[in-house]
Amino acid sequence: MTALTVSAGREEDASLRPLPWQRMAWVTWRQHRTPLVSVAVFLGALAVGIWVAGRTTHHVYAAAVAACESRNSLACPGMANTLLGTYGFLSNGFILQGVPVLIGAFAGAPVLARELETGTFRYAWTQGFGRWRWTLAKLVPLAVMLAAAAGVFSLVLDWYYQPYVAEGSQALGLTAYTPFFPGLFDLRGIGFAAWTLVAFAIGALAGMLIRRVVPAIVATLVAYAALAFAVGSWLRPAYMAPVVTSNLNVPGSAWVMSQWWTKGGRFTFAGSPPQNLLNKYCPNGPAGPVGPGGMPKTTGLAECLTPHGYTQWTSYQPASRFWAFQWIEGGWLLVLSALLIAATIWLVRRRAA
Amino acid sequence: MDIDKQSNTGAGSPIEFRLDPASGVPTYLQLVQQVEHALRLGYLKPGDQLPKVRDVVAALAINPNTVLKAYKELETKGLAAGRPGQGTFVQATLSQVALPELAGLRRTLLGWLASADAAGLDEDGMVALFTSALRDFHESRGSRTRGGAAGDETEGVA
Amino acid sequence: MSPNVVEASGLGKRYGSTWALRECTVAIPEGHVAALVGPNGAGKTTLLNIAAGLVAPSAGEVTVLGGRPAGSPAALDGIAFVAQDTPMYKNLSARDMLHLTRNLNRRFDQPYAEARLGELGIPLKRKAGKLSGGQQAQLALTLALARRPRLLVLDEPMAMLDPIARHDFMASVMTAMAADGVSVVLSSHVLAELERVADYLILMSRGCVQLAGEVDDLLAAHRMLTGPAAEADRYAGRLSVVHTSRGEAQAHLLIRASADDPVPPGWEAHTVGLEELALVYLREPAPAVLPGPARARGQNNQQTEVTK
Repeated sequence: MTALTVSAGREEDASLRPLPWQRMAWVTWRQHRTPLVSVAVFLGALAVGIWVAGRTTHHVYAAAVAACESRNSLACPGMANTLLGTYGFLSNGFILQGVPVLIGAFAGAPVLARELETGTFRYAWTQGFGRWRWTLAKLVPLAVMLAAAAGVFSLVLDWYYQPYVAEGSQALGLTAYTPFFPGLFDLRGIGFAAWTLVAFAIGALAGMLIRRVVPAIVATLVAYAALAFAVGSWLRPAYMAPVVTSNLNVPGSAWVMSQWWTKGGRFTFAGSPPQNLLNKYCPNGPAGPVGPGGMPKTTGLAECLTPHGYTQWTSYQPASRFWAFQWIEGGWLLVLSALLIAATIWLVRRRAA
Repeated sequence: MDIDKQSNTGAGSPIEFRLDPASGVPTYLQLVQQVEHALRLGYLKPGDQLPKVRDVVAALAINPNTVLKAYKELETKGLAAGRPGQGTFVQATLSQVALPELAGLRRTLLGWLASADAAGLDEDGMVALFTSALRDFHESRGSRTRGGAAGDETEGVA
Repeated sequence: MSPNVVEASGLGKRYGSTWALRECTVAIPEGHVAALVGPNGAGKTTLLNIAAGLVAPSAGEVTVLGGRPAGSPAALDGIAFVAQDTPMYKNLSARDMLHLTRNLNRRFDQPYAEARLGELGIPLKRKAGKLSGGQQAQLALTLALARRPRLLVLDEPMAMLDPIARHDFMASVMTAMAADGVSVVLSSHVLAELERVADYLILMSRGCVQLAGEVDDLLAAHRMLTGPAAEADRYAGRLSVVHTSRGEAQAHLLIRASADDPVPPGWEAHTVGLEELALVYLREPAPAVLPGPARARGQNNQQTEVTK
């Protein structure tokens, strides 16, 4: 019996050249255009809102500066509160901390989780393109686009928060925020883009591990929150060894890590002085000098204890290190993101579906 | 479906196959029998083309190897011949039985039927007996023609 | 010698502590329609998934298309797989699915695909999620066939189809075979339809291959003997009996024999149909030690690695 056999013209070459990467460009766009467009629209709308708010904030700020620079103005004290009160919910930046993780989770987790949940991976991973190259060709462009969009958006945030972190504002006592303030540090510079990138990478890996969209999104949110908290609390302070000084005039824009007191070269106490000392040397209470705008200066207590032989030491990060810290944090977040994406691709390549 | 059929450049085959899945007759044999039947009835004449494998497969949804097997059987019987690149064509007719001979056979058969009826066999019984005898006749004739060549065809019998 | 489209030796797959496939050895020659038959849970889907490169085996080896490793780029290029329930991107239109498949593969016959969809009455603009189950299956098959593969692997492809759609589906598959020489491996648990279509049979039960071979060879190698029940045991030892079923006076013995073997006096011999044969074997508890998988003639590599 003659069985039909393959026609002779077929390639028998077992090692075929891989298909060109740009084949995936249309694929990635067509399958993920909804999240990409949504992110663009969302960030766009947010940017417009913040710009509108920022015009007011900057206006208030300009007025405050004018009022406080002319020292004889009566309007200056209390300007700090006015500035804080303008769009107060934005002022400490915490509300915007959720944006990177929302973008990353909702864009990153479904890439693999939806394929696995709906079973379409049985189609996608049996095509000629190959499953790990397919994954790479999706994750990397998506990551880059989202990080770029986030980066562009954060320019608006940079501009908005300028009044709150400027050196001049510190000097005039208009604000107590330093550039390192946890709510603000990663909204500015390259922090916002870097955190969006790592959120996406966490989402992609979670999607591959958990294989269901909604649980993967939840897991991404949880993992990101834990990471951000850990970084802000323990890792970020350790990027560079803090400057230690006994100079009482620590600039207001500095990020004070800790303060302690010595007397005669020996450590006495850290933080606030004990009550008995205060009663002895600072009968007028801990209230110290206050900046013109109303924000207290940091040197309050030192001025009554120093004459009695106490030395106050401060360890701090100067504001000039802001960009150094941004690069360090951005750098390791980039490396982490690359590792997470590589791990995801490795899992795709190796793991039985 | 038309997409699956080749474009009809020129005439198709005079006959079209049909399939009776419940008849118990193997598919390829049904095709062979239909060709023989068509030859007998004059639908097919020498030189006519048998339906293209593709068309049969598209119409009946059967395995193309089955069609090839049927056509090969017809070739073995000398009824058809394949032309490479063109298809399979009818080569000969079935030996026609002459009319007087047919009449004689019919008479003999009627006589047999009368005897069977007298012996008490009903219609189904007659058919069963006839079918069984026909099968035995075929098998004995087939084993005579196959001789000892059948041994190496089948592999894998423990 | 014609290469095997799927060749597995000692193949096993474990999920957790259960073995979905065990000691599975098959060699499916090309140019055939191989039907993988067995009850649910037999391991058919697992075997097909492994052949398509979706799943890596836990034990044993598997190669496809004449020695290429399953899942390798060369294998993916030559095999088109249609999974159970024909997964589709619900939000993409049929045209988008064509575009997608074209981008992801080396070969794609766009005119054929469009013409076929037109014949089937599947509008190109409609989203895949809005198509009926049968239309989705046809779309999936169209995408697979348009890739011009060497091997088509179908996992229970006709579960969602009505009789007409089933007929058209199979007609398309068979025509692709006739026109392009595509080999087909499909799984099913509907035996009756396979008789017309399959010329290579693999019976699976509980993760093991019970029987494998060309249908013609298998049918030629079995006989059903009918005779007096009292004599059944006498012949049980002498003949290779696969299965005995008996009434009070009459018994049937399914034996392994060819047409030339003598029939015991007083017994009748019949040929066995595919469905009957399959049912008998599927009910047998032990994997059959029998016309094992028909290796392509000339090849003799029986490397069974069993890794525990």
